[in-house]
Amino acid sequence: MNRREWLKCVSTLAMGAVAAPSLLAISDAYAAAQAPGFAPQFFSKAQIDVVSAVVDIIIPRGGTPGAIDAGVPAFIDQMFTSVYTKAEQARYLSALASFERAGARPFLQLDEAQRKALVTKLHGAALSTGKGDTPEPAADFVLMTKRLTMTGFFLSEPGCTQVLQYAAVPGAYQADVPLAKAGNGKAWAVETALAL
Amino acid sequence: MNNNTYDAIVVGTGVSGGWAAKELTEKGLKTLVLDRGRMVKHGEYPTAMKAPWELPYADEPTREDVLRHPIHTRPSFYGITQSTKHWFVDDLDNPYVETKPFDWFRGYHVGGRSLMWGRQSYRLGDLDFEANGKDGVGVDWPIRYADLAPWYDYVEEFIGVSGSVEHLAQLPDGQFLPPMELNCVEQEFAGRLADKFNRKLIIGRTANLSAPLKHDKSPQRATCQYRNLCMRGCPFGGYFSSNSSTLPSAERTGNMTIVPNAIVHEMIYDNAKGKATGVRVLDAETGKQTEYFARVIFLCASTFGTTHILLNSTSSRFPNGFGNDSGELGHNVMDHLFGHGVSASVDGHEDRYYTGRRPNGFYIPRYRNLGSEKRPYLRGFGYQGSASRQNWSRLVDEPLLGEDLKRAAEEPGPWRLAMSGFGEMLPSHDNYVTLDRDRKDKYGLPILNFNVAHGENEKRMTKEIVDDAMEMMTAAGYRDVKPYHVEANVGAAIHEMGTARMGRDPKTSVLNGWNQMHACKNVFITDGSCMTSSACQNPSLTYMALTARAASHAVEELKRGNI
Repeated sequence: MNRREWLKCVSTLAMGAVAAPSLLAISDAYAAAQAPGFAPQFFSKAQIDVVSAVVDIIIPRGGTPGAIDAGVPAFIDQMFTSVYTKAEQARYLSALASFERAGARPFLQLDEAQRKALVTKLHGAALSTGKGDTPEPAADFVLMTKRLTMTGFFLSEPGCTQVLQYAAVPGAYQADVPLAKAGNGKAWAVETALAL
Repeated sequence: MNNNTYDAIVVGTGVSGGWAAKELTEKGLKTLVLDRGRMVKHGEYPTAMKAPWELPYADEPTREDVLRHPIHTRPSFYGITQSTKHWFVDDLDNPYVETKPFDWFRGYHVGGRSLMWGRQSYRLGDLDFEANGKDGVGVDWPIRYADLAPWYDYVEEFIGVSGSVEHLAQLPDGQFLPPMELNCVEQEFAGRLADKFNRKLIIGRTANLSAPLKHDKSPQRATCQYRNLCMRGCPFGGYFSSNSSTLPSAERTGNMTIVPNAIVHEMIYDNAKGKATGVRVLDAETGKQTEYFARVIFLCASTFGTTHILLNSTSSRFPNGFGNDSGELGHNVMDHLFGHGVSASVDGHEDRYYTGRRPNGFYIPRYRNLGSEKRPYLRGFGYQGSASRQNWSRLVDEPLLGEDLKRAAEEPGPWRLAMSGFGEMLPSHDNYVTLDRDRKDKYGLPILNFNVAHGENEKRMTKEIVDDAMEMMTAAGYRDVKPYHVEANVGAAIHEMGTARMGRDPKTSVLNGWNQMHACKNVFITDGSCMTSSACQNPSLTYMALTARAASHAVEELKRGNI
C-alpha cells in the first residue's frame, strides 16, 4: 500500500466519526514515517506500514511529538536489520503475520477506532499472560512493538527533551530536591533499553 | 646498546603503568612507556558527548558485535555497547583457555582499563594487611598500613578522591575532596541500618572531582559535570584515568617516550649480570620485533598481562618463568565475589527527586569478622548500591497505551533500592593460570589457560552476603525484597589479583615488600598481580599507592647503585 492508497483508505472512514485534527495528525505522522531517506531494509513496505500504524497508537502525537515524529519505525527496522538474532526476527515476523489476521479485516483496512480497540485488546491479553509464558503471537506482536516503541521513543530527541527532560551536562548534583524543583519536574531521561 | 636504551621501561599504561610513568619521569629517569594497544590521548573519546539519540541501536550491541565479543557480552558484563565497545578487546583475536570458566574483561589501548574503571577508591587497612598472617592463609603481607599510608595520601591528593571521613578502623580515611550526597531514600536506609544494626552506610569514595584539585599539576582536568558517562572517557577530565591525569604529567617532564602497539612478550635476562636488561617487543600492526633496554623495568601490564610475559620468559636461569623461583608465579589468583545482591521497593518520598547524574553510589563498609566476631567463614565483604526512582521502562507491563502511556512516563516512578556484595576471596595455590604452549594467538604467542574457582569460604560468604542484605532491607521496612544474581564467573568483578604476590620469603612469594622481584632486583611489579590477599575493597587505589612507593624506592636504589 502506498501513501495515496493509504490516504484513500483513511478518507473512506466515516468522516463524522474522526475529528479533523486527529486525521491530520495521522496523515502527518504517516508522512513522517515515510520521510525521505527511510526505505525499510528488514521489513517489506506492507509490513512497515502495519508496524508504523501500531507504533502510532502506542505513542501518538499529542501536545508533544509522537513515536512516528521521532522516527521509531526506522529505529525498529534498524534493530531487526542489525541487532536481533535470526530467532528474534522469525518470532517478530510470525507474530506480525498473526496480528494481521487478528482483526475482522487486515489491520490497515480497519478504521481508527477498530485499530485502537484491537491493539488495546491484544495488549491486555499479553499482559494477562502468566509470568514466563509467551503470549499468543498476535498479542506478543503488540507487546514486542510496545517495548520497541518505548525504547526508540524515550531515547529519541523529542522523547528525551519534550516528554522527559534531559540535561546533557548537568554540571552539578543535587541529591535531594522537591520534585517540582528538579528541573521542570518531569522524569529525567535515562539510557536504558528494553529487551525484545 | 643503542638508541633503544633508556633509564627505565614501563610496560602498560593502566592505573599502575600510568603512575609508574609519572613517578619515574618526574624523578628524572628517561622512561620508555610501552602499551600493546593503540594510542588514546586525553580528549580522544569519540562517543563522550553523544546524546542518547545520537547512538545507533539504542546503544545495544549488534549481532556482529556479539559475534566478535563472545566473552565480553556474557551476562556479567555491560561494556559492549555502541558508546563503549571501542574500549574492549576483540575476543576472537585475543583468545584464552578456560579449563574452569573465567570472565576476563580487557582493554588494550593507552590508558587501559583506567578509562573504563568503576572509580571506587578505598584504602586497605591493617585488618587486611595482617589477615593472612593471623589466619595462616597464603603468606603474610611484607608491609603494613603504616608503610602505605603516606603513599595513599600522595596518590589521593594527586588524583582527587571524593569521600567522607568516617573514622573506621577497617576502612581508613583518606585525603578527600568533598563527599557527594546521598539521596533521600539512601539517607533513610542509612539511618535504619545505624538504628537497627549499628552498621554504617556511607557515600562511595570515588575518583571523580567533586571540587577542584588541591594542586595545580593537572590543568587539563576540570570538575565532575555529573553526566555519569565516565566509561566513554571524560573530555572534562572529571575522573581519574591515566589519559586525563598521570600520562599528561609524565609527558610534561620531557622524559617520556611512549610507544603504542608494542606487545611486550619476553624479558631479556643477562646471566652474567644477574639482571634483566630489557624487553622484547612485537609490533601489533607490523609484527616487527624490537628489543629495548633499561636499567630498571616496571611491569604494570595488568595481573594476567604481566603473568603472561613472565611465564613466556624462560631461560636457563628461569626455566619455569621469569623470577619464578618460588613456583608461585601464576598461582593464587583472586577476584572479588561478585554478582549477588538484593533489591527492594521503597514506598513514599514521591515528592523528592534529584538533579544531575551522580557517578557514584553508596557503600556499606565491611562489618563482619571484626573484633571478636567469628562467622563460619574468614574475612568479609562490603556492599555497593544506590536508590533511584524508576524510569519509563516500568510501564511496559502496565495497562497503558497512547496518551496515558506518555503521561505516565513524564512522571518519575516509585523508588527502588538495590545493592550488590563485593566479598574477599582467599589466595590458594590451586587457583592458577598457565601458559598453553600448544595454542597460539594471532601473533603466534601462547595463550593463558585459567584454572580458577571459588572455594568453600567463598561459598559460605556468598550466602551471608545475600542473607544479610535481605535482612537489612526487610528490617528497614521495604517491600518486595528479593535477591538477584547475575550469572558471573570468577573474574567478573574485574579485580583480578595475586599471580606474582608480595611476601617476606623468596621461597613462597615472587616480590618483596617493595614490589621488587626477589630473584631479579631491577624488575618491579605493581599491578594487581602483586597482591598478597584481596581484601574486599576495590583495589585500584592500592595499586597506585604501591606503584608510587615502588618507583620512589627504585630510584633510590638506582642512585645507591644497588640495581
